[in-house]
Amino acid sequence: MQSKFSDIELIEQTLQGNQTAYADLVKRHQRFVFTLAMRFTKTREDAEEVAQDSFIKAYRSLQNFQGQSKFSTWLYSIVYTTAMTFLRKRKLDTSSIDDENNYLQIENQSGGFKNDLAENKSRSYYVNQAIEQLLPDDAMIITLFYKGEQSLEEIAVTLGIEPNNVKVKLFRARQRLKEKLERNLKHEVSELI
Amino acid sequence: MNSIEEKLWNYLDGSCSTKEHEAISHLIATDPTYQQKYQELLAFNQELENMELDAPPMAFTYNVMEAIRTEEASKPLKANIDHRIIKAIAAFFVVTIAALLVIALANSHTSSVHETVQIPVKVQIPTLTNYFSGPVMKGFLFFDVVLALFLLDEYLRKRHTTAS
Repeated sequence: MQSKFSDIELIEQTLQGNQTAYADLVKRHQRFVFTLAMRFTKTREDAEEVAQDSFIKAYRSLQNFQGQSKFSTWLYSIVYTTAMTFLRKRKLDTSSIDDENNYLQIENQSGGFKNDLAENKSRSYYVNQAIEQLLPDDAMIITLFYKGEQSLEEIAVTLGIEPNNVKVKLFRARQRLKEKLERNLKHEVSELI
Repeated sequence: MNSIEEKLWNYLDGSCSTKEHEAISHLIATDPTYQQKYQELLAFNQELENMELDAPPMAFTYNVMEAIRTEEASKPLKANIDHRIIKAIAAFFVVTIAALLVIALANSHTSSVHETVQIPVKVQIPTLTNYFSGPVMKGFLFFDVVLALFLLDEYLRKRHTTAS
């Protein structure tokens, strides 16, 4: 059950020593934070680690939260930094995700689920599949814009870039997603035939 | 703005000016190319809005709060010690050392070439030599010196950490 208090009220209660209030904040934002982490790590175990680290870091720095931006914007910037640090530590070559070779690898992975082809997969499934194939930055911008209730200016704060850059990045990310979605659907149709 | 697609995305996002918005609305209504592309992007936009979020494990909140509780519990003890206690201990040592110093000076027999100073009032100073034998005093002073060096080391380390 979601708390009736606003984020700011829950933060104030947490700062007064009420840990249950912070648990309510975690419950409220965990799904989105976990999804953002998934955009970077691609596996549930790693996403859980990044999401958990992000909430712990946010708790430690809660006193520094000025309230000048939304709590979610502040929290997402922590998630972004934590995920980037995680990727650096794992020495994951994120730029290679977009390579054709890796794309084929992902295609082959989905080929293992041929038995599911008969199932009536929703469009949402294909959208999520295509997002997983995007670069982490592209996937994050799309997720923040569509599901995080973040404006271009707020996304700019989260990513530490100019709003105009966010606009350009969002446009390119959507183009790439559209291409991948079309390619995946074409592949699925050819598999069925 | 370069392409039709870029114009239409700005239109859909509401990130263009009123003038541009009107112009694009007119193009959508009159130009079949714009109309077709608009319908295509509108459907894609709808799909993105309906995209589902990943659900974390059931025990996620519990795990986060447990990690926080463990971290809080394992905080170094010095962070939880009241500074007044440290000050009181320091004051105790300072007073003790000062008192011992006064007694030691008062009990020492110094000779001088000048005449001995006669104190008009006879002050009764307790002779503590019975209480403090030589080795005990030396041991106490040794402990004080070690403590002072330890505190100095702590202070210098802290200063070094702050500076770096």
